[in-house]
Amino acid sequence: MALTCVELRELENIFALLILSSFVGFSAPPTFLSVELLPYMERELRILNQRAEDASDMLAELVGTLGID
Amino acid sequence: MKIVFYTGKGGVGKSTVAAATAWQLSQSRRVLILSLDPAHNLGDIFRVTLIDGEKRLSENLVLREVDLRKLSRAYLDREISVLSSTYKYLQVLNLDRYFSVLKYSPGIEEYALLTSIEETIRESRGFDFIIFDTPPTGLTLRFLALPQITITWIDRLVQIRRQILERRHTIQKILGPPKDGEKNRERILDYDENEDEVLRRLRSLGENYQALNRILRGDMSSFVLVFNPDFLSLRESQRLIDGLRDLRLPLRMLIDNKVTEDNREMADHVETVLKDMTGGLPVQRILLSRALSADASRLRDIPEDLIYML
Repeated sequence: MALTCVELRELENIFALLILSSFVGFSAPPTFLSVELLPYMERELRILNQRAEDASDMLAELVGTLGID
Repeated sequence: MKIVFYTGKGGVGKSTVAAATAWQLSQSRRVLILSLDPAHNLGDIFRVTLIDGEKRLSENLVLREVDLRKLSRAYLDREISVLSSTYKYLQVLNLDRYFSVLKYSPGIEEYALLTSIEETIRESRGFDFIIFDTPPTGLTLRFLALPQITITWIDRLVQIRRQILERRHTIQKILGPPKDGEKNRERILDYDENEDEVLRRLRSLGENYQALNRILRGDMSSFVLVFNPDFLSLRESQRLIDGLRDLRLPLRMLIDNKVTEDNREMADHVETVLKDMTGGLPVQRILLSRALSADASRLRDIPEDLIYML
């Protein structure tokens, strides 16, 4: 269950990352595609942001993944 | 209905040839001629002023010039209004206007161009022929490649999106139906493929582009390559032929424009090379007309038959 949650979160993260890839220096999808989807991506953007913030805290990440409170 | 695109290097006379063809066709058929080139000159060629980018020249002939800037602005306005309604709280701070910066994003113009082609084809059923006068080679190839590139991207994104929904569904099944008063965000996520707004949007975009690609590659469409009897024009035409072949767009006719007594030898050479390269497509030669360079509206007098192949 926890693993599926993590997997979901990562997939959503990747999805948002691909849509917004031009902002982080990857090759981007056609701009308008991003523009078309952007209005519906609030959740994905939030995850993307969270992942970027947590990226340096490996321990917290590990503990979180394992579901240790 | 038939759709004809006139392509070629800048300055070879695409617009003039397209206009002459439109005029010849309009003697017996209903014709719409549409300029996609940001540097419009259809109005100049026919010596008329277009009102709101459009002019009915005769019973059977309508001219239209596409205003790219206006198109991209209209398109972005629509998107921005969706954005603003989603992020409504920004209006409180009067921040929503910052979305308008999107209009400077690269690639929007090509997309607007493509949308305009699609709309024209969809809305102009009343015509027998739609003739597109395209911008010079580079831009043309870029926007013609756009449907395929977009479809590839959409396919990949749909794959990922479906995996996301699958995981969401799994989580939903494990958690079971939400209890009363419970506000767990994870539980109310869309997992149904028909309800997820992102997937729906991707799918409908994908279908639009598939349809457009089918039209552009199908029997309805023809691409006509216009060139001059000179080396530069030959090289660029070769690139264009390669580009069209890669995109699987149907090139059906070659037009060798501005042939004179002096360059006849070069004209023969260029025609042979391009003919070989395209597997023997028909070539129509147009002699340079002195009268035409002085007064473009004399295109009615062009003696060559430009329409027998269409």
